[in-house]
Parts: sequence; C-alpha cells; structure tokens
Amino acid sequence: MEKEMIAMLLAGGQGSRLYALTEKLAKPAVPFGGKYRIIDFPLSNCVNSGIDTVGILTQYQPLVLNEYIGNGQPWDLDRLHGGVHVLPPYQKASGSDWYKGTANAICQNISFIERYNPKYVIILSGDQICKQDYSDFLRFHKEKNAEFSVAVMEVPWEEASRFGLMVADETDRITEFQEKPKEPKSNLASMGIYIFNWDILKKYLLEDDADPNSENDFGNNIIPNLLRDGRKMYAYHFDGYWKDVGTISSLWEANMEVLDPEHSGIDLFDENWKIYSRNSGMAGHHISETAEVTNSMITDGCKVSGSVKHSILFDGVTVEEGATVEDAVVMGGTTIRSGAIVKHCIVAENVTINEQAIVGAMPTAEEKGVATIASDVSIGRGAKIGPNAMVRNNVKDGEEEW
Amino acid sequence: MVSSNANAMGIIFPNSYDSLVPELVSNRLMASIPFASRYRMIDFLLSSMVNSGIDNISIVLRQNYRSLMDHLGSGREWDLTRKNGGLNIIPPFSERGIKVYSGRVEALYNILPLLRSSKEKYVVLADANIAANIRFDEVIAEHEASGANVTMLYYKADLSTRSGYTRKDTDDFYYTLQLDEDSRVNEIHINAQDVGVQNHSMNIYVVDREFLITQVEDATVRGKIYFERDVLLPNLDKFLVKAYEFTGYVALINSIKSYFDENMALLKQENADALFAGNNIYTKVRDDNPTRYTATAQAKNIMAADGCVIEGTVENCVLFRGVKIAKGAVVKNCILMQDTVIAENTTAEYLITDKNVTITANQEVKGTTSYPMYIAKRKIV
Repeated sequence: MEKEMIAMLLAGGQGSRLYALTEKLAKPAVPFGGKYRIIDFPLSNCVNSGIDTVGILTQYQPLVLNEYIGNGQPWDLDRLHGGVHVLPPYQKASGSDWYKGTANAICQNISFIERYNPKYVIILSGDQICKQDYSDFLRFHKEKNAEFSVAVMEVPWEEASRFGLMVADETDRITEFQEKPKEPKSNLASMGIYIFNWDILKKYLLEDDADPNSENDFGNNIIPNLLRDGRKMYAYHFDGYWKDVGTISSLWEANMEVLDPEHSGIDLFDENWKIYSRNSGMAGHHISETAEVTNSMITDGCKVSGSVKHSILFDGVTVEEGATVEDAVVMGGTTIRSGAIVKHCIVAENVTINEQAIVGAMPTAEEKGVATIASDVSIGRGAKIGPNAMVRNNVKDGEEEW
Repeated sequence: MVSSNANAMGIIFPNSYDSLVPELVSNRLMASIPFASRYRMIDFLLSSMVNSGIDNISIVLRQNYRSLMDHLGSGREWDLTRKNGGLNIIPPFSERGIKVYSGRVEALYNILPLLRSSKEKYVVLADANIAANIRFDEVIAEHEASGANVTMLYYKADLSTRSGYTRKDTDDFYYTLQLDEDSRVNEIHINAQDVGVQNHSMNIYVVDREFLITQVEDATVRGKIYFERDVLLPNLDKFLVKAYEFTGYVALINSIKSYFDENMALLKQENADALFAGNNIYTKVRDDNPTRYTATAQAKNIMAADGCVIEGTVENCVLFRGVKIAKGAVVKNCILMQDTVIAENTTAEYLITDKNVTITANQEVKGTTSYPMYIAKRKIV
C-alpha cells in the first residue's frame, strides 16, 4: 500500500559532546523535560502531522532506545501497515557495514522505504527539541513543486558561521549551501530536516553510494550534488522553538526553557500538540509538609520534602528534608539526601547524592559550568562536585571532584 | 508448560456498593471512581490480578458503565489485550433471557457459559470498592494447599469509629467473619454493628471453578440471589470455607466521607508507600506534561498527578490530572478531580470537586471536616 510520506529518523549518533550522559545510551534516548526522551519530540511531531510510518536508524548503544520504542504504542505507532520500525545496520550477502554516514544509513534501508512506495520521504534528526508540523512543511514542498526542501531557521548573523547555511533567492529557492563558512552569505541555518521526492532521493543515494570518495553525508555530499545538478531545492522557514541539545549546556538550557513556556516558546502544555512518551506507571507525586517548591516541574513518583527551586524532577526522584535543589535537571530514580545541595547541574538517572554533599554551583561571571553526574553513580557524604565536573564513577565520602 | 500465569480467571463486579456513594456514581460506577490522584478504583484490582499472573479477567457490568468502558478501552494499559483471555467486558442485556442482576448469584448465572468454557481451575471474584495491592498468586497458592472450596479475603480493622460504618440505610450487605483456629470460617455476620477490631470480608474470593458452577446452578434453581447470604452462609458446615488475612494497606470506599478520608490518608507518605509498595498499579495514560509549580506557588502536604499548574497556595490536598490553581487562590483540605479549575483569589476548603469543575474568581467555598462539600461534574461555582 502506498504512503504519501514516510519518515526516516536518524538516531544513530553517539552525541559525544554529552559525554557522561551518552555513555550507556544513544543521544535520542537522553531524558528531557521531566518525563520525555529527546526522541519523543520528532516521534510525536510525526504522529501529530499524520505520518504513521517511521523508520528509526540506530547504531550507537541502541539497547535503551530499542526498549523505549518497543512496538511504538505510546506514540500510537503500533500499526497494521506502517508504524514504527527500528532499523539497525545488518549483514548482507555482499558483506556487512556499519552506517558510514547519514546518507549511507538511509541508503542501506532503501528496501524498507520501497515497501511503502512513498511519494515523499522526510529525513528527521533524533537530537533536537522542536515542535513542528511536518504536514505544513510538506504543503510548502508541494506548492513549490520542489524536489528537495530543507527546514531552515533564521539565526543571528554573528552566530551564522556555526551552522550549515542555505542561501536562497526571494522565491525561497536555494542557490548555494555553505557548511560553517567563515563569511556567511545567509543567516538561514539548516535544521537537518529534509523532504525529498522519493525518486530523487533514491537516485542520489545510489549515486552517492557508488562514489568511493564520498563521506555519505547529507550535508557534505547529497545536498552539494543536488545543487550541482540544478535540482529544484527550496528553503522552508520555520520560526517556532528549535534547539539542538547536542551539548551539556544546551541540554540544560533547553530543560530550563521548559520551565518558562511564556517566554521560551517551548510549551509542553499544548493540548493540540501533545508530546507523547512511555509512561513510568508510578503513582502521583508527593509534596510534604516541609517542602518548598517553586518554578519547577515535577512528575509521577517524586517525593519532595526539601527545597526545590527552578528545577525539573523526572519520575521517581526523592528530595529529602533539608536538601536543596536549584537550577537543576534531576533525572528519574535519583535520590538527594538530607542536607545535600544540588545546583545548576544535570544529574542523570538512579544517582544517589548523599547527606551534605554539594553538587555544582550557581554560575558566576567567570564560571558558568554545568556539573554533570552520570547515571547509577553514588556521591558520598560531604563530597564536593565542582561546576565543571563530569562525574562518571562513584565519589567517596568527603572527596572532591572539579 | 513454562508459565508464570496463575491458574485462575478473574471476575470483577464493578457496580457493587454503588448505592453508598450516590454523588460519586451519578455519572459512573464504583469501579470508575477516581482515587489517589491518577487512578480509578478498578485499577488496583486489575493491576493486582495482572501482576499476579491472572490474565483472563471479566468485568460484569450492571449500569452506568460508560465511564468504565472509556477507562478500560481494550485493556492495553493493564497488558490485557491478549489472544487468549485478556479483558472481557460483559454488558447487561447482551443476550436473550439475561436480566440486570441484583445479587452475585444472578450475575454469575448470566455468565455461566463463560465460566463453563474457561479452562482455569480457580476463579477470583471481587468487588471494586477496595483499593489494595494484593498478591493473588499467594492467595491462590494457599487456597490450593488448603483444599478449600472457597477462600475469603479479609482484613482486621476497627471500622466502627469510621463514618459510613453503620450502613442501615442501604440495601447492600457487608460481611464480618468468625473464624476457628485453622482460619476456617465458622460464621458470616451480615451488617453486624459490632465495635472493635473485626474480621472484615473484602468481598474477594478464590473459588474452585467447577464448584462455583455447581453452586450457581443450584442456587438459581432455588431462587437464591446472594452468594454469601444464600450459598455460603447456610453451608458453612458442609463446605470448606477458609479465610485469608490480607495484611497490606486497604482503602475502603463506603461513603462520601470515607472517600474523602481515604484519599487524605494517602498524604501520609507511609500510607502511600504501603499502597504502592511492590508492584505497579496501572491506569489509563493521558500523556499530560509534568505538573508545574510557578514562582508564586506554595504547596504543602499534597499528592498530585501530572498536568497540573499550581500558581496559588495549596495545602493538604489530593490533585488529579490537569488541575489548575490560579494565583492568589488558597486551597486547603480538598480533593480536586481531573481538570478542576480554582480561579484567582478564591478560597476553597473541604471540597470534593468532580471532573471539570470550575470555581470562579474571588469566591469562598467551604465544606466542613465532618461533611466535605461535593460539587458535581462540570459545575461552575
């Protein structure tokens, strides 16, 4: 059966700049916003946009991601025809290959796409926080009679050289592509979200695959090749909330922005554009007599008896009486014991921060670091973790790490 | 066969004791009464059964069941969308010759074909007016070992001091048990007014399926209606009826006041921990975002589900999903069901607001501790 458009979601990246947070899981599986994982955003966008077939390309540390996706039911993607499919690299008669680049990952799954014989394929990336209506993007693509469209964001000119830039004319037709140029000719940054006509995508994937010198990458190879051939390429302007959460500080920042939907533009309270996630199944959260909670988001299974300010607590976090949590992102199952002070940091899942330990510090003019604690770590009593620390192993009582 | 499944099927009577909480069941039934911030009463039984390996569960509906049907859906949230067994919802009037039942024997007679065609050796019968986290696998093992025909779950408590105990104004029965030293049930007292700690039947039974079929057929022929009063009680000397003491946490709903009290009791962390200890309780997922506390929020001693926005003051409250408490509002000792809105500068105390209630700005609405005020679904105060 034919689908108008299916989605291919690139979720194989290691996210090496998230360091300790992505040692055991792929970046798209990193928890976000109290009860979500990053991949919930593109998946929910798909479903909310009417896309019911999604291939998820996995490669790096896929266990958590695979288990999380399961049969796709939380996103309503358990379908008779289509639905969500996890696509790891596989062995072929001709040998086996890891996914060598973003384009190669799609190329190795041409047969998956052909099962649905789509008119269009949307390529998504699994490491962005963004609420976007892909059906509007497709409407644009069709209106322009395009063969390839890319979603772009206007960025400040002074930051433009950090991005892949699309230079477009007044009809939004792309004339040039600049990858992180020193002298930007445009401030339209590629969001890494593309719509292709399937026949065009297939042709260029196969061509790229035959080129031994190619890095098999969309940005470096496919898009330049399309430009070379004068294909009908258009830039779709997106002006909603979009954040690449590829670094510790941007991940922390995006979480904090969730706490301020009135100004940041990332509103998780939108009934018309829900973000779906796999449910923890825990009971409602408790705020005790001794607790103080302001400017925070708290979800099922939390038990708060201490002070929580401007923070996000994920499912099943315990904050004991006398503990202080501020400007912190505290992931599921973590316990913060009495007297501990946890500030301006990211604490991953199932961490124990023992009595009187100090983790992170409020930023100063010269020091803005976000302390990071990896999952399953125990921070000893009275231990001190500095604002630039990246803690991967248990810290003994009274020890310091900077 | 390798299996972690129990050799038992479950049958739940969702309408039992509806008459005790007329306000709460005007739009629903006992089993779908919201409880403990994000659950419905039936979630505790269903989850207990599923967690104990019972995956063939029938719900025998009587009336007012739309909300329950909506809640249960296909049973997926409880892992009950199975090829064999799974969730089986039995509406009334589904077949010729079947009438709306009043007693349990009638209800069981209506589903005799189901009982006959099932393969499980045991049947777990249960009402839905109790929230508890029950290990049915342990109960069934003891039932099997004892060779009893029927095992009745009971718990020890002094209910005489709680409101709703003297239920003279109802047609519903409740039972207390007298036991011998081997936990055999000697006597079943109906609507006893005894004070002090009693053995209160939880109306949850493990019964041999073949035995149950025989007894239901027999009782129906003789025009008997009630399983406990008409079948068990006169035959306690003939049948081996054992009692199984449930020592876990029990929340019992038998009046609007007890509904209030049982919700409030869960604000004590040790009570909530006891109820939710061990196995998860599953419920319908609504995909709300986490609950948000703004800069002006002041929250003390509350239990809250996801999706709430708290900008005002809230103390000693149970908040269900999507409750909004606006700036300047002061809410104390209230149970606010799904999507209740308390607008700005309004004071609310001792209220039970049903779903989608709005209390407009600058109001003062108060019940009392002995008589919490109930505000019906979708009302705007």
